[in-house]
Amino acid sequence: MQTRFISKASLRGLVTAMAVASIGGAAFAQATAPAAPPPVSDLVRKQAERSKQDVNLRGHPVPPIATPRDKLPMDKIKVPEGFKVEVFATGLAGARMMLLSPKGTLFVSTRTLGRVYAVTDPFGKKEVKTIAQGLTLPNGLAMKDGALFVTANKQVLRFDDIDATLDAPKSVDLSEKFNLPGDLSHGWRYTEFGPDGKLYIPVGANCNACEVNYGTHAHIRRYDADGSNMEIVARGVRNTVGFDWHPVTKDLWFTDNGRDWAGNEGPEDELNMLPKNKTGASFGFPYCHANKVADPDVVRPDPCAGVILPKALMGPHAAALSIKWYTGDMFPAKYKNVAFIARHGSWNREKKIGYDVVMATEKNGKVKVEPFLTGLLDEKTNSFHGRPVHILQLKDGSLLVTDENNGAIYRITYDAKAKTARL
Amino acid sequence: MSRKLLSTLAPPALALAALLCAPASAATLAEQVETCGACHGEDGNSRMPRLPSLAGQPNFYLMNQLILIREGVRKIPEMEALAKDLKDDDILALAAHYAAAPSKRSEETPDPALAARGAQVAASHHCASCHTPALTGQEQMPRLAGQRIDYMVEALKAMRDNRRTSADPLMVETVVGLSDQDLAALAHYAASK
Repeated sequence: MQTRFISKASLRGLVTAMAVASIGGAAFAQATAPAAPPPVSDLVRKQAERSKQDVNLRGHPVPPIATPRDKLPMDKIKVPEGFKVEVFATGLAGARMMLLSPKGTLFVSTRTLGRVYAVTDPFGKKEVKTIAQGLTLPNGLAMKDGALFVTANKQVLRFDDIDATLDAPKSVDLSEKFNLPGDLSHGWRYTEFGPDGKLYIPVGANCNACEVNYGTHAHIRRYDADGSNMEIVARGVRNTVGFDWHPVTKDLWFTDNGRDWAGNEGPEDELNMLPKNKTGASFGFPYCHANKVADPDVVRPDPCAGVILPKALMGPHAAALSIKWYTGDMFPAKYKNVAFIARHGSWNREKKIGYDVVMATEKNGKVKVEPFLTGLLDEKTNSFHGRPVHILQLKDGSLLVTDENNGAIYRITYDAKAKTARL
Repeated sequence: MSRKLLSTLAPPALALAALLCAPASAATLAEQVETCGACHGEDGNSRMPRLPSLAGQPNFYLMNQLILIREGVRKIPEMEALAKDLKDDDILALAAHYAAAPSKRSEETPDPALAARGAQVAASHHCASCHTPALTGQEQMPRLAGQRIDYMVEALKAMRDNRRTSADPLMVETVVGLSDQDLAALAHYAASK
């Protein structure tokens, strides 16, 4: 294009012209020198010192280019006998949430990469289209009456009749009606229409650990589909990135990620349950963490008074995200009404934890958590091969799992005959 | 030159650059590098106020940011036309090129008092945890050592004030609440490394 027609000389001329301006730049930078240094506002990072954790712990990068199919870590993944894990789809860099429309399009969101994909003919040719890009943290997908709702930080976009408009998707911007905060800290949202037809949107704490206004942050809210009638259904929720309604009791179950920089061993992530008659209840953040652990920084008397404590602990810093109650017929009977939970994997812990899918079984009010899909974490080298995010149950009872790190979707199936044959 | 004059002068110059140099995907790496060099320095070390040096940045950082810029996640109007047609392979090649280019300090002179102050802020906020003790960056975290002061001041303010929506949320959490002076101090410190 134009590049070819620009001579080196004209480029140099441009550089010289612009270099004149650089003198002004230096002057500007020096002009900001303060008379006396103000005190350092370092609440956030002091926590790192007191926690006695390795201060070099840092967030993991999200590769913006998908791993090629032949480089996926399929040989590492382990599931119980009789189960099989296969590659379902690739080429979905940064894949997060999935949504299978009734008309058969598989939508896949991303977080930092700003894209939303559509996989057309997902059980056949699997063509990947990018239907939206340049969005801020567009993690949230939801669908009602053929319209796709994309929640991207403070934006809510509705794509009407999306299955028929994949080549030229048009959106209605509902952001003003929903009026979500635009903080980047925990500014990505898991969304879903509930059994009540309302759109559930969590708003995480806009910090690691600090005083929050429950009216605007650290809660789960729900709306009518047009953004009206906002109502807070759960408070004191630091950041949930996955929830589901129990298939029998219809109670809302959700994961919540514990705070960072308070030690390698906690506070643990939570698996919470909001009983139907407790709308608006508090789950403790920032004062009370899992296992009744009082926060060391954000202090108040009786921090756990009136707080609903978790049904199960999901591991310190494990990043428990998606939860899906299994209602399919493909897996053996003991998996019926068991919750599968994707653990994205830790960053704020010296010995890595998570990077797996676990199962939570409820019996007589007690919840037992066991491994299900493992192998993506290499404990010997303290490194990982993939990061599970979201779980989707297909009509045949198989499960899809997104791997954000590899930009891929895996499918988990069960074959009773295969098991018998091996025995 | 006054700050006001600078701000009136720079944007048209940038727009001109964007207009003139649009690297088509069909362009060779050398042609693309020449285009980038018009603003970011022929050797990848910027002599343009408020425009970052690319030389010596981590390969992943360059690749990631170019993809985010291409797709409008990181919004830089002057870069839009330049980046929109780049293919992943172009971006990988550009990232590898600039990651291997030697980093040189800009013509700006860090203020010693501010740099000393910045060293304290950097220590209390553990900048080195992600950006490494030499502030040379790693993975998705940029090199700060030797970077332009004016660019870093603006970038830090944009992150603190929630204007850079492509920023890593963990980075935003780290700088929220810092004063303009602290941010300037950090920039002077990093530039002096």
